[in-house]
This record gives sequence, C-alpha cells and structure tokens, in this order.
Amino acid sequence: MPSHSVPLTPGLASFLKTLKTNPIDTSIENLISLLKRRQIRHSRSCATATAHLLRSVISACRTSDASKLIERVQSVGRRLIAAQPREMVVGNIVRRVLGLIRDEAEDDRDGDFTLSEAGSESQPQTPRPGDDPFDRSVSKPISSLATHPVSMFSLLSHPDSETSLPGTPATASPSGRLPGHTPNKDIRAEVLDGINEIIDELGQVDDQIAAYALDHIHSNEIILTHTSSTTVQKFLLKAAAKRKFTVIHAESYPNNHEATHATVSGKAPDDDEIISTESFQKPLIAHGITVILIPDSAVFALMSRVNKVILGTHSVLANGGLVAAAGTRVIARAAKVHQTPVVVVSGVYKLSPVYPFDFDSLIEYGDSSKVIGYEDGDLVDQIDVQNPLYDYVPAELVDLYITNLGGHAPSYLYRIVSDHYRKEDISF
Amino acid sequence: MASADSQISKPSGPFDIVATYNELLHSDPDLTMPIAAIEALVLLLTHSPSSTISETLDLLEKSTTHLKKSIPNPIGLSAGTDLFQRYLITTLQRPGQLGPAGDFNAIRAHLLSNSRLFIRRAKESRDKIAAFGRGFVRDGSTVLTNGGSRVVASLLQQAADEKGGPSAVRFNVIYVLSSPKGDIENPTAEPEGMETVRALRTTGVPVATIPESAVAYSLGKADVVIVGAEGVVENGGIVSRMGTYQIGLLAKAMGKPFYVVAESHKFVRLYPLGQYDLPIEQRVIDFKTQEDVNAAKQQQTTATNTSETPRRLRSEFHPDAVDFTPPHLISALITDSGVLTPSAVSEELIKIWF
Repeated sequence: MPSHSVPLTPGLASFLKTLKTNPIDTSIENLISLLKRRQIRHSRSCATATAHLLRSVISACRTSDASKLIERVQSVGRRLIAAQPREMVVGNIVRRVLGLIRDEAEDDRDGDFTLSEAGSESQPQTPRPGDDPFDRSVSKPISSLATHPVSMFSLLSHPDSETSLPGTPATASPSGRLPGHTPNKDIRAEVLDGINEIIDELGQVDDQIAAYALDHIHSNEIILTHTSSTTVQKFLLKAAAKRKFTVIHAESYPNNHEATHATVSGKAPDDDEIISTESFQKPLIAHGITVILIPDSAVFALMSRVNKVILGTHSVLANGGLVAAAGTRVIARAAKVHQTPVVVVSGVYKLSPVYPFDFDSLIEYGDSSKVIGYEDGDLVDQIDVQNPLYDYVPAELVDLYITNLGGHAPSYLYRIVSDHYRKEDISF
Repeated sequence: MASADSQISKPSGPFDIVATYNELLHSDPDLTMPIAAIEALVLLLTHSPSSTISETLDLLEKSTTHLKKSIPNPIGLSAGTDLFQRYLITTLQRPGQLGPAGDFNAIRAHLLSNSRLFIRRAKESRDKIAAFGRGFVRDGSTVLTNGGSRVVASLLQQAADEKGGPSAVRFNVIYVLSSPKGDIENPTAEPEGMETVRALRTTGVPVATIPESAVAYSLGKADVVIVGAEGVVENGGIVSRMGTYQIGLLAKAMGKPFYVVAESHKFVRLYPLGQYDLPIEQRVIDFKTQEDVNAAKQQQTTATNTSETPRRLRSEFHPDAVDFTPPHLISALITDSGVLTPSAVSEELIKIWF
C-alpha cells in the first residue's frame, strides 16, 4: 500500500499499464516481485493482476495444444503462488484458468468424435437470450465436474465408460458455451474469452453482492462491521438507499484504522490501489445513516445491542472457515456469545479449494512498528512486538456467506468449490 | 478371490449368500464389508442364470434382504448392496450401449468378469485417501486414533513412509485400544489395532497405546484425531466402533479437529437420529437384577451341557458393538473423492439414488 501517490508507484495500476508493453517474462517477474514486496495486497487487486497476467501469458503462448497451455499456466502459477503463498486468490485464479483450459480441451475432444453420447446430454447448451457474458461466467458450474467420475459408482463402473457415468443429471451442464464450434476451433481464443469473463466478474462482484443487501438489512437494525472493506461498504450503501439503520464500525487498529476512518468520514482514501470507482462514492453518513466508530476493544460491550454482524474477508477456505483481518475472530466470537448472526460477504473468487491443514501457517505477520513505533526505543528493545494481519475464523462462528451467487451456509461452500475448480487442479 | 471362488463354485446345492459373504470376509483381511457384499452378489449372479432384468433385480432384492437379516450388523454391508443395486438400475435406465436398448447380457458380463477389478479399486481407493489425507498429518504433530480401521492404518503408514511423498512426516501416534475381544477378565485375542501399532512402530513411528478410559487425559497431548468408520450415514455422521462417539465428543470439547477417513463406498442411505436409532439390535445397556443374573447362570450351565457356544450369552459386552457419531462432531471426512464436509455426504448419496 504505497502511501505517497507518485504517478507510477509500483502497484496494480502501474502493473496493468506496463503489462501491454513489457515482454511477458518481465511482466511475470514484475508481478512476482510486487507480490513479494506486498505492493499488491488487496485480494481483488491480486486477483485482477493474476487474471490479466495469465491472459497475456496465454495470448503470448503460440500454441493451441491444451496440454502445453496447461503446463505453461501451471508453471507461471506455481511461481506466483510461491511468491506469496498466503495470498490465496492468486492460486484461485490460476486454478480457474486451468479449469477453463481443461473444459475447452474436453469440449474440443467431444466435438472431434462422439455422436454416440452427445445427443443425450451435452447438446442443450444454447445461450439463454438476455444473458450477459458476465452472468454466464458466474453461474456456470465447471461443467465437466458433474460428468467427472466423482460419483460413488466409480467403484463399479466399466473401465472405458468412466467419463460418462450415470448419476449425472442432464441439467448438470448448463455451461452456456456458444454452440457451433468447429472441431478444430482455437482453444486459445476461447480461453482468453473465459479469462475476460473472470476479469469482468472481478469488476462487478461487489455490485452483485450488494444486490442482496435489502434481503439482509432491515429498518432500524444495528449493524456491526469491521475494516474498510469495499465489499461491505457497497453492501451497506445499497441498503442505505432504501432503509434507515445504524452502523457500528470497529476501527481495526493498528493495520486498517486510517482507512476505516477515511471510509467513515467519507474522505477519499489516498490509495490508488483501490480502483478509483470507490473514491467518489458517498459515505454512509451522506445517506443519513448513523455511523458509530468504536475501538476494537468495545466490540464485546456493544454486541448485546447489535442485530447483525457483517464482515468482509481476505479469503474463504473450503471447510467454511475464513481468513480475515485481525480482530475478526474476536468479533465473531463475541457475536456467538450473544447469539448475533454473523454474515460474511465475499466474492466467489476469494473462495479457495485449499483445505486448511495448518491454521497457523495462514496468518501473516505485519509491520510491528504499527503497534509500537520505533521511536519508542527503550520499549522496542525490551519486548517482543507482534502484529498479525489476519485471523482464522472457524466455520462454526459464521452463520451465512453472501457471495455473488447468493447466500450460502458455511457447510454448503464445498459445493461452490467443486463447481468452480477442477479436482485435478486443487494441488497443481 | 480365486480361492474363495473355487470353493464356492463346487456344485453343492443352492447358493448360500450368507455363507459366501462370511467366507469372503474371512478370506481376505483387507476386504471391507460393502465390498464383500458386492462380491457375494456378483457370485450370486454367476450362479443364477437369470436373463431378464426384473428377474435379476428381484433375485438381488430377495438375497439382499436375506443377507441383511442374517448378519447381526448389516449397516456396512448394506452400503455395498445398495450401491450394487443402484448401479444396476441406473445403468439399465441410462441410454447408451448398456441401456435398455442395449444388451442386458453386456452388463451382466461386465459385472461378472470384473469382480477382481472392484476389489482392486476398493483397495486403490485407500491409497487415494492416504494421498489426500497426508496433509492432515503435520510434522511434529500427535495423532490420536482408535479401532482397527485399515484406511487409517494405510494413511498413517503412508505418511510415515518416505516413498509416499516428498518426505516422511515425523509424528507421534496415540492409539486407543479397545477392550480386548472375548471376556474382559481373560481375553482370547489381542485388542483390535495391535497389528497397526506394530507396523507403525516398525516404520519408526513412536506409538503410545492407551485404554479407552484415558482418552480425555491424553487428548491434551494430541493435535488431531483421525478415525475410521464402518459406515457413513446420510447426514454425514458415522457408524463406527464403539467408543468413537465419546472420542468425538471429547475432541469437540477440547477443540481438536476430528477427521474421519472412509472410502466412498461406505456411504449408506441411513438417517439415524441418535444412538438408539440404528437399525440394529445391540445389547449394550442391559439392566439386570440379581435374579436375572442367577437365571442367566442357570441357562448357561444348561447351555454348556448341550455343548453350544455360550460366549455370546456370557460376554456382557459385544466386541463388535458400534455407536453413531453425529455430524456436528466431525470436522471433515477424508474420502477417495476428496476432503468432504459432513453435509457433502448426502449429495453423493443423492447422486446415486435420484
């Protein structure tokens, strides 16, 4: 998060600007070092950068051989993930692109041969009229997962009929692909289209989530939130247009309090990384919403009066748990004690198929000078200061997830994971 | 299964599915109940030259019911028989070369000729699970486990093994040993799981064995609980060796993750609401007055006189008893189709039933 905005501070904006002109390997190196230096750090910025980079990688890759494309994306993906393993969205985007390539490759193979099975299941895929491409990309389960032999029947199935198993309803593949592809269509072009859809999705995800706001925020409710997450802000703003409610905003000292203050007071954040659309947004108070800023320590005391807790997140894990800004677990825990519903808003792109084997390794530690400044030399010498940036919140503390696909119980997330990622890509 | 096959196929009157099932189970210690049930049904089909679909299904239905009735705890095997039946029905309904338009004999031939393949796949699925589950055993962690599950054994074995992955995991195991088989006072056999304990110790994994009464005491030293299961029911809970439920409760109370490893062919369409809702009869809680005890003793002496096996009467506690661990105690199920949350089980079941 560069605080001084010189025209070309390294960050998402400068990266995207140079992506077109730089050779591809330079861009890869560029993004890797941005990730390593944490000059790109918001989930969405990382996701956007990754998607754009992969688009360039694929368009620079002069082959239409799917396995070569997969290999190339995998190798780039591995390097990106190694650069910043805790930024899970990077891996998510890479996996989705891999899934895209695999889908296209399989579609292609289907087109080459098979008139035997195709008539029954895989044909009714005309795009519905009025569907914008973005909508399709979101609601589309990766079609082949359904036809993938995850079924229990894999034990008994015929060795060579494994790919077309029973137990896959015909409705399982509304993939909305454009029909009429020639057998030798250009996989690369299709994949690039798919990546563009992902990029579109990243741009619109907050508005999509905000569309559910009126279902969840009612008049005169008291909502507690935390950090300056734009997803949450948009969500609240959407409801504020129609309803009057009160927001209690925990300031999330010491890592995010400045941004939180700016969000509450409506001063445009001096942060060029959050893409400019947010900066001209009116704050909640301009809509006549009462916003109460409280220190994090007051959360428990106020929780008894809160109707609903709405939280943003850094990433969501396959078991329904989430990794979010430090302090989130305290809030979720306090909400549990008071039986206050906890709602987490998050784009599907933050949902990671990785199962958290080791919770401690997910937590990133930040600049300890934010807790105690270095000018306080005496103290700094003698004590050990730690500043964890994230918290792991277990699934049982969350009541509802709202993604761009709608509201889901934490126990249902596995389903969305299996819709969006291919099993073979989970650990690539 | 060639040996069993040859034994059974001798022309000795009508085919006895119960005997076949038991024989299969005993002949191969690595065979699970569902797979043995599937094998038994395949052998049944070999022996009965039915040529129509409904005849076959009828025969299967009858034999399955008979088999379930004659086995004291049919939960595990019913997973296998259900799977087999559903597979047959869905294959028949599905358009394609094996469908109604196609040749019924083709399916028959496929099933009959591939029984070895099924067993191999079932065993392979254990390796698959072990590969998925390796990540759950971390370096320097302590795993608490119980029972004689072969999947758990293979998972721990593979984690400890250099060849299983990039590097061997160094971990400790706390093995909960159930009370030995037979009479509590004079055990006839060593407790279940001793074999795994020995195998792990040979590989160099430090193993501590504790009695069931020491679980709460020991759990503080454990990082993760991994157990096997006899059957995974529809709500995501498990039917498993008696004692698993209490380990689950304790793990929950202490905030330790509780993982279940089970092959997906153990998923069974059953929705128990609690311990006493399982469709089997277990005389675990048996109230008695002194009068009853005396009566039982009397009966016992007459029984020994008639040289019947009085073990079942005498043993207060059946060693094969199971209990039900409800889904809210389970952190995740490690299966051959991935790491699932308990709620994902019903979906897998729905996929084959509807």
